[in-house]
Parts: sequence; C-alpha cells; structure tokens
Amino acid sequence: MSTAPTLEKNPSGGAEPFVRRTVPRGRRLRRGAAPWLLLAPGLIVLGVLLLWPMLRVLNLSLQDYELRNLLRGDSNYVGLDNYVQVLTDPFLWKTVLPNTVGFAIVCVVLTMIVGTSVALFLNSLGTLWRSISTTAIMVAWAVPALTGTYIFVWLFDPQSGLVISALDGLGIMDAGSYNWFTNRWTFYAIATLNVVYHGFPFIAVTMLAGLMTVPDELYEAAALDGASAWTRFWQVTVPTLRPIIAVCVILSTIWDFKVFVQIFLMPGGDGTTREVMNLGVWSYTQSFAQGEYGMGSTIAVLLTALLLVISVVYIRTLMKEEEL
Amino acid sequence: MNRRTPLSQAAKALGVVVLISLSLFPFYWMLSTAVDTSPLSRGASLLPSGITFEHFRHVLFDAGFLRYVRVSVVVALGTVLLSGVIALLAAVAVARFRFRLRTQVLIMVLMVQMVPLEALVIPLFLQARTLGMLNSLLGLTIVYVGFSLAFAIWNLRGFVAAVPRELEEAAYIDGATWGRMFRSVLLPLVAPGLVATSVFSFITAWNEFIFALTFMQDGAKYTVGVGLRTFFTQNTADWGSVMAASTLITLPVVIFFVLVQRNLAKGMTAGAVKG
Amino acid sequence: MIARRHVLAAGAAGSAALALAACGGGSGGSGGEVDGEGKTLTFWLMEGTNASADAYIEELKTAFAEATGATLDVQVQPWDGAHDKFVTAMAGGTGPDVAEVGTTWVPEFADAGGIDDLTEDIEAAGLTEGLVEGLVDAGTLDGQTYGMPWYAGVRAILGNREMLEAAGVAEQPQSWDDLLAMITALKEHDPDWIPFPVAGASIFSAMPFVWGAGGDIAEESGGSWSATIDSPEAVEGLTWYTDLALEHDASTAAATTWVETDSLAAFLQETVPMFITGSWVPATIRADNPELAEKLVAYTIPAKDSAIAPSFLGGSLMCRFTETAEPELAFELIKLVTTGDFATRWAEETNYFPGTTEALDEVVAGGDELTAVFAQQMTEGGTTVPVTPAWGKIEGAKTLSTMIGTILEGTAVQDAAETAAEEMDGFFAG
Repeated sequence: MSTAPTLEKNPSGGAEPFVRRTVPRGRRLRRGAAPWLLLAPGLIVLGVLLLWPMLRVLNLSLQDYELRNLLRGDSNYVGLDNYVQVLTDPFLWKTVLPNTVGFAIVCVVLTMIVGTSVALFLNSLGTLWRSISTTAIMVAWAVPALTGTYIFVWLFDPQSGLVISALDGLGIMDAGSYNWFTNRWTFYAIATLNVVYHGFPFIAVTMLAGLMTVPDELYEAAALDGASAWTRFWQVTVPTLRPIIAVCVILSTIWDFKVFVQIFLMPGGDGTTREVMNLGVWSYTQSFAQGEYGMGSTIAVLLTALLLVISVVYIRTLMKEEEL
Repeated sequence: MNRRTPLSQAAKALGVVVLISLSLFPFYWMLSTAVDTSPLSRGASLLPSGITFEHFRHVLFDAGFLRYVRVSVVVALGTVLLSGVIALLAAVAVARFRFRLRTQVLIMVLMVQMVPLEALVIPLFLQARTLGMLNSLLGLTIVYVGFSLAFAIWNLRGFVAAVPRELEEAAYIDGATWGRMFRSVLLPLVAPGLVATSVFSFITAWNEFIFALTFMQDGAKYTVGVGLRTFFTQNTADWGSVMAASTLITLPVVIFFVLVQRNLAKGMTAGAVKG
Repeated sequence: MIARRHVLAAGAAGSAALALAACGGGSGGSGGEVDGEGKTLTFWLMEGTNASADAYIEELKTAFAEATGATLDVQVQPWDGAHDKFVTAMAGGTGPDVAEVGTTWVPEFADAGGIDDLTEDIEAAGLTEGLVEGLVDAGTLDGQTYGMPWYAGVRAILGNREMLEAAGVAEQPQSWDDLLAMITALKEHDPDWIPFPVAGASIFSAMPFVWGAGGDIAEESGGSWSATIDSPEAVEGLTWYTDLALEHDASTAAATTWVETDSLAAFLQETVPMFITGSWVPATIRADNPELAEKLVAYTIPAKDSAIAPSFLGGSLMCRFTETAEPELAFELIKLVTTGDFATRWAEETNYFPGTTEALDEVVAGGDELTAVFAQQMTEGGTTVPVTPAWGKIEGAKTLSTMIGTILEGTAVQDAAETAAEEMDGFFAG
C-alpha cells in the first residue's frame, strides 16, 4: 500500500482520502496497515472460529464418514464419490433444485416488494404512527420461525384450520376434502406466505433506515422537474439505495436457498412427501438424518459453491465497481 | 409532496390498520393459544375456549424459563455489542480504504452465511472444544458474532460510505483525533444502520438453538432457543407451554427493538447528512 | 480429528474385569459395595417424559449418595436436537457417564462404539430374567445387550366411549372384519365423523396391520437384513389399512400428512371416535380435557383373524457411555433406576410401562382399565422395528411414511411397497 507524500497529487483519482498537511506523520505512515488493523478483529473471529470448520467440512465431503468413523477418529477417503452420487441423482435435478430455486426467487422478489412497499409507506407516516407500525411489524420478525411455522400450519390445516373453515363457510370447499400439503404448488404457496411474513420486516426496517438518509432536496428537485412519484422512486430512491438493496437481495437469496425449518415442520415436509423437498431438507435427510456426515458435507460444499457463484454474479451486476 | 387531502389521510389510516392487523395476527394466535384452557382442541375458533394463565405459570415457574431468558439476554446483548464494534471497524475499513483483496474479504465474510448450519455443527463443536470455548457464554457469544458479522459488515459499509468525506475532513481541520471524529461525526450518521444490524444480531443470538444445545454441558446455561424445544417431547408437544414460551421469547426482541430505535433513530433527523 | 483410544477394546476389557470381579468375589451381596466417595457421576435424562421429574431427581440423588457415597449430577436434555447432542458429546469427549437413550438410537450408538456392552454386567447382577422382551430386543445387537430396559410405551386403539356407544359398537374388535364393521357403523351414524383416521405420516399406526397379516418390515438371516415390506402378507396388510381411507371413507384427505398428534387433536375436537395412539396419551388428555378423559376406552389393535396384532414397543434404555471413568459406579446407577422402587415410580409418574416384568405387573395391578388394555397389547403383541444401525437411516430417510403417503395419493400398493423395499435394501447393504 503506497502512501503518497503530502505534496504530490493523489494518483488514484480521489479514491483515497486526501492527505492533508494537518494529518500527523504517524497516521500517514500507518495508513497502509490501517484497513487491515480495523479488519483484524473480524477476520480473527471468522478465520479462527469458522474457517477451520469450513475446511473440515470440505475434508469430510471427500470421505464416507459415519458415526463410527467420528468416534474412532479414523478417516475413510473415497475421493469424489460423494459428489458423483449427489450430482448424478435425478431427483436433485428434477425436484429438489427446481423447488429450491423457484421458491427462493419467488420469496426474494415478494419479500423485497412487500418490504420496500412497507418501508415507503412507513416513511410517509408521521413519527408516532411510524414508530407504532414499525414496532408492530417487528413482532412478525420476532416470533420464532418454529412457532410461526406451526401457527401457519394450524391456520391452514385442511380439516380444522381457520382458512378451510372460512372456505367451508363460504361454500367454496368442504373441510377435509383436499390436502393442500401434498401438492407441490399449494404447499409452497403456504410456505412462501410463511417465509415472506417472517422476512419482510427485516427488509422494511433496513430499507427504512436507508430511505431516511436520502436527502429531501433530491426529491424536491425531481418533483420540480415534473417527475411523478413512480419516476421519483426509480430515478432517485433506487439509485441512492442501491447498496442497501443489494445487501438485502444477496442475503435474502442466500437464506431462502437454505430454508429448512419452515419446510421441515410442515406436514409432509420432513421427507414424507418427496415432491416438496427442497435443498435444505433433502440435504438433511440424505445425510445427517442418516448419520452420513460425509455426504452431508458434500451437499453443504455444493450448496455453498452454488451460492458463491450466485453472489459473485449479483455483486457484479447490481453494483458498479467503484461503489463496492 | 405532502398533500394532506382527506383521501390520502384516510388511505394512510387504512394502510396502517391493515399493516398492523396482518402483522399481529399470528402473534394474536400464539398469545390466544398460550392462554387457552385446552389448546389442543382449538381448531378454527378465533377466540380461545377459555382463558387461563396456567401455561405461563408452568413455563415460568415449573420449567424455570426465566433462567433461560437471563442467559439469553446476556448472550444476545454481548453479541450485539461485540458484533456492532467489530463490524463497524470492519465497515470503515472496507468503505473508506481501497486495498487489494477488498472484494475478496467482503465475499469471504458472506461465505459464512452460505454454509448450511447442520454441516457445521460437528466441526464447529470440535473447534470450539479445541479453543476451550465450550460451556461458556462468552464462547457462544463469539460464535453468534461470527454468524451476524456478514449482514452487519455489509450493511454498515453502505452507511459509512454514505457519510460525506467533507464532514470527516472538517473534523480533522478542527484538530480532532480519529477517535473524536469517529464518535461525533461518523457514529451519529451511521446509527440508523446500527438499528437493523443490532436487531439482526440480537435475533441471531436469541433464537439460535443447535449450538446453544451442543456447546453447553451445564443445563443452567441453556438459552431460550433451547428452552422452547424442551416442551416438545418425544411423542407429544405441550402446545400451551410452547406458545406461552414463544410469547415470552417474542417480547424481549420487540422491547429491544423499541429501545434501539428510539435511541438510534434520533441520528437520522440530525440533518447532518444534508451537509 | 480426535485421537481416540480403542474404545471398544477398553469397553470390553472393563466389562470383562467386572465380570471376573463379580464371579471371583464369593460374598457378592445385594448391591452397594461400590464405593463412590468423592466422585461425581453425570446422568443425562430426557426432558418432558415425567412432569414431576424434579422431585424424582432429588430423591434419586439422595438415594444414590446413600448407596455409594458419590454425587449425582443430573442434566435434563430436550428430545429435539438430542441426537446431535449425543453425537457431539461422544465425539468431543464431553458426554455423560450414563444416559437415557431411545430404543431407535441404541443400535446406532452401539455399532459406533459410543455405548458399552452391558451383557456381562446384567448377568453378574442377576438381572437377565424378568426383563420386558421387546425392550431387550431393541437393545441387543449381535447377541450383546447394550442397554438396560427402563420404560416403554405401546400403541393401541383409544376410543371415545360416548361416540362408540351412540353407534352401538363399543366392543373390542376381534378381527379386521370386526374393525371394519365398527367403522362402517360409525360412518353411517354420523357422516361428519372421521371413524378411523389413517395418519399417513405415522408408520406405527400402519405397521400393526402389516404385522397383523403375518408380514414384516424386514427380516434377518445370517447377519444381514433384507426388506420384506413388499411380500404378499405385508402388501395385504397395507392394502387393507389404506383401503380404510381410500374405499371405506374412514379417514379424511387431511390425514395423509398427519402424525399421531394430529389425530389426537381431531380426537379432542370429538370428530374422531377412535384412533391409534400411545399408552401415554390418556394422561395428556386428562390434563387437557378432563371431561373427555372420562369417556376414554381402549382396545387392542386387531390382527387379521385375532384380537391382538403386534404393535410397536418403543421406549428408552439406560446406557453407559464408553467414555466413562467410572463403569462400576455407572452400572450402580443403572441398576438403581431400572429396578425396584425408582423404576415403578418412574413408570407411574410418566404413564409409561417399566422395563422389568415385576414392576410391570405392579403398575398394571394399580392402574385402570385403559392401563390393562395397553399392557395386554404390550405383553402379548409388543414388537420392535429391525434392530440394526441401518434402521436409523431408514427412519431418517422417511422411507415408510413416504410409502404410505404415496399409496394414499393413489399409487398402487405393490409398486409403493417395492420402491420402499428397494430403498431399504440399499440402506441394509450399507
């Protein structure tokens, strides 16, 4: 990291902070190391605590590793056998992956739309009602995913749930006549409702914080130029908030790919109904539920690699290089 | 921009009502089951079949749930503070400095979120054992810090980057040290970002289950995430207690949010952003 | 990676030493010679089985201290996540000395070398006779017993006497035909009722019909297992059972994904006059709905031509972990908990059945009609799933519940059974 002496012009065109005459020499010399010092605590936590286990997962993915191997401390390398087994399983390509990708896309899109709309709405409210409403939506986030899933399952119980009772009362459908948990589309519709419900407050609160940093003058200037609310949103709000939107989209995608509890706890979602399996559940039943730690690690590696690729693509397209 | 026509007022009011009722409906269902005299036979009725506080009493006193809450509060607050500090420093590093490997560091931070949790259970447990972090609240806190750093760093990076450099320089010109500048210029402007980050860290630590269960040898150190699961036995589930425990789990998060929002959101309206 | 000493060798040596000592010492009196002064023993107990566990634990600690002078540290673990808890503890060397292990996990842990072979200790203590067979079977691998039977539950039919009497069918069914007649009568009496829910995700509601037709899930020969779920008898049982839902309208579409607790919920709403559930459930009903509890009646699950079909016996065994530093002390605790007063008391407080026939007789004598019926189902018809580590994999992959689910959704029984058998054979082959 080169440090420019005080009097030269900064060669990288303004990306680095100006070097002022008043900056003490000691700080100037340390600037090269500064970012790494600031990053040190984070990198230590992640590196020491999480990097080694992740390498271990990679190691295990190359083994046929069960409980007895774990307890006896021996290895059982099988090379890429696990990978071959997973990648040549037609069930993965025909059912699991389509379910996972489709579900993730729908959830991310809906969560972003709902979360952003709610954030915009909250931004337009007065302080008191904004606080009250934000606290109310926080409750949706605060209810544990496990509890929330059970509540949705009860509400949608095909025999005695609130939804079917309402439908029965309206004469649309008889109670107990159809089990929508066994059908892929209806199953995931309910799961989507659950996941979006649990996830939109996170987006809303994050976007709201961002919205409040957008200077009013930008909106006023645009309004003076005759822009409608819709145009103002796309020309002013979105560009300004692009970094925050990117974070939300990337993290939501990663989480929605890995969804486990919300699917597993639904009727048939624990592997009983094979057509509704997603990657999270499938990876669990294929491996850990059977005590196959090697296979589980393989699927974990594959999933991480997939998400890595997706994230890198996102980062390239959603963010211009300088902004990153 | 602020046309206060009666129509827009009414629309807003309706919007607020719809938003609040939809957001709170599952919570209502949870709470009403928690006070229901016979939660198993509820079915579709909107109202509980009878009100009782027996489930709450059982959860709080027989099952000692307050002990779990105490442990969780310590761990969660520790996670929020530690993760906030570490992430803020890291965010300043990636937002204010340009250095090689910057993109790679950001992606590496994100990678932690990508690995399925179940795959990490055994390796992380063994690593924690090697580091002597087992059976300690601090050890568990550090694990949760690791899990919450991704969002914290990425989110705060945006807020730090949004603070105009002129303000920083102005502070330096006035003779401030980096520390002083950080506290009086950077922090208030980044504070709104800290709201979402803090709540996220809190919830990560608060609801986590599998590591809290496997790390602790002493049942007295279990968190509420574990405590909730104690009402699911091998063949049955005590739904009344599950819902009562869930209510007790939900409330501190909301309280935390209200406190954080009240104190940090002030920074937003300070007007410093407008330069 | 953890460097593990040869745990199996150590375990075997430890047991052998114990057996030698027991045989050698002529004076072996009744318990209590093991000196645990100054030592602490850790015991993992599973959560929720006993509502008044605290009092039980306190008294157990006192009794153990009196008998051996050692301190007992009892850690209560939730069932959810318990498997991970055991595995990480065994791998990291942070496990207990003694733990309660569910019957379906014992083969897996035993095969992996995490729990001790207790055959010789049990023999030396003279406890080999008088143990409930189903539990012993569940804990026996390759002729060696890895756990001491503690408590068990069994599944039978629980009914609502009021509803059954209203339809005129409140009698023990003596065969499948009888059961079908009951269902038909109930359906005619009130079409809104669900006479006999066919819970698709509950394999233990379905297996009695496979067993009752003379079939089985899998069979062992010469040390290896092969699936027999697609044999003619098994298919006959499955067909008859699922036809209840598909042909005779005994169930509801919702039940395709039901587990037992869902059937229970419907029963509590009094839309279900009878269903298959466990022996521990009447107590839950008493707590939730005392009125309904007054109307309970129980029947054994009928076989094709007799009144009692085999039904799954599940429960827990007390196991000693190979890592323990105090094997004799650990076995003292095991004896204390699984025999005598503490065993009987546990059974009574948890509404499960104890693991020794002596205590079982006591519990039945002191229990009510429901207890008697469940006990009869257990003693005359209690059976286990294949006792092999591969069963854990089959359970994890949900092979059997998937099979029942697809049948209820329209797949032909033979096809579904063959698919399941193929999958199971894959697991048995390792």
